Amino acid sequence: MLSPAAAAPHLRTPGRRRRVQQSVRERLAPYAYISPFFVLFLIFGLFPLLFTFYISLFDWNPIGEHRFVGLENFTELVHDPRFWGALRNTFSIWVLSTVPQLLLALGLAHLLNHARLRLATLFRMSVLVPYVTSVAATTIVFAQLFDRDYGMINWFLELLGFEHIDFTASLFGSHIMIATMIAWRWTGYNTLLYLASLQAVPRELYEAAAADGANGWKQFLHVSIPSLRPIIAFTVVTSTIGGLQVFTEPLLVNPVGGLTCGAARQCQTVTLYLYEQSFGQFHFGYGAAVGVALFVIVVAFSAFNYLLATRIRTERP
Amino acid sequence: MKRLLTTAAIFATVALTAAGCGGSGGKSDSKTFEFWSFTNINQKGDVDVYTKAHPDVHVKLTEVGSTTETAQALTTALAGGKVPDLVLIQADDLPKFMQSPDNFVDLTTMGAGDIKGNYLDWVMAQSTTQDNKIIGVPTDVGGLAVAYRTDLFKAAGLPTDREEVAKLWPTWDDFINVGKTYVQKTGKPFVDNTPTSVFFQAVNQGSERYYSADRKLDYGNAQVKAAFDLTLKAFSAGISAKQGSFSTGWTAAMKKGDYAVVCSPSWMLSQMKTNAPETNGKWDIATIPGGSGNWGGSFLAIPKRAKNPKAAWNYISEMQSPKGQLDHFLMQGSLPTTPSVYTDPQLVGRTDPFFSNAPIGKIYTQSVLGIKPFYFGPQDGPIGTEFLNTLTSVEQGKVEPAKAWDTALTNVKNAIRG
Amino acid sequence: MKPGPATPAPTRGRRRHANRVPLASYVLLTLMGLISVFPLYWMFVVATTDSATATSLPPHLTPGGNFLHLAKLVFTIVPFVQSLLNSLIVATTIAVGQAVLCALAGFAFAKLSFPGRNTLFLIVVLTMTVPAQLAVVPQYLIISQFNWVDTLQAVIVPGLVSAFGIFWMRQHIGSSIDDELMHAARVDGATTWQIFWRIAFPLVRPAAFVLGLFTFVYAWNDFLWPFIVLKSPENYTVQIAIKALQQNRDIDLGLAMSGSFLATIPLLVLFVFVGRRLVQGIMEGAFKG
Repeated sequence: MLSPAAAAPHLRTPGRRRRVQQSVRERLAPYAYISPFFVLFLIFGLFPLLFTFYISLFDWNPIGEHRFVGLENFTELVHDPRFWGALRNTFSIWVLSTVPQLLLALGLAHLLNHARLRLATLFRMSVLVPYVTSVAATTIVFAQLFDRDYGMINWFLELLGFEHIDFTASLFGSHIMIATMIAWRWTGYNTLLYLASLQAVPRELYEAAAADGANGWKQFLHVSIPSLRPIIAFTVVTSTIGGLQVFTEPLLVNPVGGLTCGAARQCQTVTLYLYEQSFGQFHFGYGAAVGVALFVIVVAFSAFNYLLATRIRTERP
Repeated sequence: MKRLLTTAAIFATVALTAAGCGGSGGKSDSKTFEFWSFTNINQKGDVDVYTKAHPDVHVKLTEVGSTTETAQALTTALAGGKVPDLVLIQADDLPKFMQSPDNFVDLTTMGAGDIKGNYLDWVMAQSTTQDNKIIGVPTDVGGLAVAYRTDLFKAAGLPTDREEVAKLWPTWDDFINVGKTYVQKTGKPFVDNTPTSVFFQAVNQGSERYYSADRKLDYGNAQVKAAFDLTLKAFSAGISAKQGSFSTGWTAAMKKGDYAVVCSPSWMLSQMKTNAPETNGKWDIATIPGGSGNWGGSFLAIPKRAKNPKAAWNYISEMQSPKGQLDHFLMQGSLPTTPSVYTDPQLVGRTDPFFSNAPIGKIYTQSVLGIKPFYFGPQDGPIGTEFLNTLTSVEQGKVEPAKAWDTALTNVKNAIRG
Repeated sequence: MKPGPATPAPTRGRRRHANRVPLASYVLLTLMGLISVFPLYWMFVVATTDSATATSLPPHLTPGGNFLHLAKLVFTIVPFVQSLLNSLIVATTIAVGQAVLCALAGFAFAKLSFPGRNTLFLIVVLTMTVPAQLAVVPQYLIISQFNWVDTLQAVIVPGLVSAFGIFWMRQHIGSSIDDELMHAARVDGATTWQIFWRIAFPLVRPAAFVLGLFTFVYAWNDFLWPFIVLKSPENYTVQIAIKALQQNRDIDLGLAMSGSFLATIPLLVLFVFVGRRLVQGIMEGAFKG
């Protein structure tokens, strides 16, 4: 397979030239390996990122003129209630989806981690079904379930003696609706992440805890949770990044609302606002400014997360 | 190493080939052209008529989406993509494109100057630049009228005959009072919603909308305010079903008879038929309170980079002739923009069984003949949307009626960034 | 907690408790499974009944026989077969392409030393935290410079690169290939390419496959970018076709649901076959993550 003949010692001159050639090749080889990736990465990843900053300094109409305006877009952005509203919505949806989702995932992972659980594979697979369902499809189904007059959830509320809730129209209601979709989609995925980490926890720890008189709940609290710290930190980070990207749900949940997710922009997220400004109003410069703002937020969040995560990782119970 | 280079080469080739394909794509013989329309306007009917008359011509019709989405897709395409040869633009979206007329073929170069006299001059004015370039040819206007359920009116003890119904509401205040009576008698809401069925009608009945006659932004003027206040009044009267137009709830409630009245511009008629076929024959049409007005209507334009502008123009000139528009009306219900056919016996005599054989031609032409034209400005679309959204928020209980006007003005100001 | 003196009886009780799965666990897990599957089932119900039953209350929970009718309508309103095909082309190309590109680059980053290696890798990893949406405006401008708007390659080519993919492959290659093995191969005169192709790649093929699976699911369900660059119905991916169906308010909900259901079937089929691998993939990733 790996024959040494290529470096046959007795053919001196040509061999040496070949070896020099070969060594140059070998030295350049790593770049050849990364170049297909990097060329595309530069064109479609890094360059657009930097170019966003440039465009954000312009009043840029894609079918009209491009006028340099300096930081005008940013001063406007700071005073733009629609932007702050979108930021508030994004944050609120993020909290409402992440917290219950991760708690639920923790609980489920704990249940699934039982050594004698029957049908374990079936349960694992069933919680992952939402993950392969498309967001567009999910949104259409949930929007119907949450409908004010003809939705199943309101019908159920009515049975329980409550008033119908106009989920789409209200600020909090629409956030809950979207958060539910996100949580439904990702709970199973996170459950499996947690489950994997739980399985790495030595059985003896549980046995020792049990011997100490800890019941299931106490075991969960004092054995499971501490060993999950790193993976919890990881899921918090990924859900933050995911939370800033929420777009399809608010776009499709209220199709009549156009790009604002409702009359009062009650569930318009930052990404949807970016899209509205860029591809709805065709204010490319302003849209890019929203992108830059998003960048700043991401950097701030990442720094914060990093500090938090290192803390969580190193802290011992 | 060699294989690696081969792999890289394959990728490069794929990318380059792909790039090459991007530019062309599709045949460009003189008999084929691409046409973008929006949904729910039945341009397909027209295209079928045209291709039947010209079997050698191939029209590739794409229903892109809603009116707004079609305009957005067009902007995207104009900015750097494959453009259609022919595109339908809704009246409220047109002003934005009129800002950059260079993106379109000046239709006077194709002969539009000769036919512009066929169309209502205030409509033609919307698609003519100040230096007399013609960007679009109007396909229809949105005459106003009210569609109502005769069975529900009867159950509420109201008259069902369209003449008598029209007499019930010469003004919008009367309309609100009829609504109150209906709600009292039946305990059910009267009108589908107020933002669309009241505001968008009333604001289009004025002599000035969001711009003054000298083309200056003036969205806070007395006429707009009056239409706005009227809407608030209608809302406070408790007559609204609060079903946002075109939403799934709106459609469902239309099927179920959960409201009795929809203010329906002529282009909405075909939509009602497809939305709620089970209500066939239960509707009738009466004149709208408050006099003549126009909401909507559309234009056909040819992008400058179109591959086959000639074929597109042939289509326009044939299908948008007075005869073509009349045929379209008879087939689909959208009102012609060519006044010469308004007295045509076929138009005047046109009745629609879905709407209890109402003479839709007569009713809708009346609503556009006495029209007071106003100037359409570049920000008309976003301004209208913000007013509509604020009023919808009022219906949803999210904005207090007392604060609604100020909220609306602030929202408009933000939206147009001025 | 304070270890008290354990009496024999409760210990036995506790031990039994710890060993047998309480019924409540099954109830909870079944409930969760039902919640996970119900929206899909409901989608199917609405997709097979007429619109009136879709909005009827109390809800109508059994499928009807209207599916073929609605499906036919779906196919007439948007070229749905074409959309399915487009999605298949897009998702497969991206999945395979990304696995290959990331395996190559991941190999270089994990096992070769070259000037700039750490800097370049850092740049890639840093962009991983930045949401791609942020740069859609310039991305769109680039695509329109290439004249790619409204073509499938506008979705495929940018989708080939993923910071996560390279991160994933580097981790796997780094941990599954022994440096000594590589060294031995080098002493034997193997070229880097031979080491990659004959040693590294076979070892990480499962990891590349899992990466491909995740990428496939992601690309199949991706919405924002295709929504921006694909404009003609014949170029729609299924997700955009669903949006178009939903927009077509002429008809109704049943139609959008039928479309959604049709668009989900391929993934469900895939899931039946490779669901276990996905579960494994997520759980393996957890250790590295």
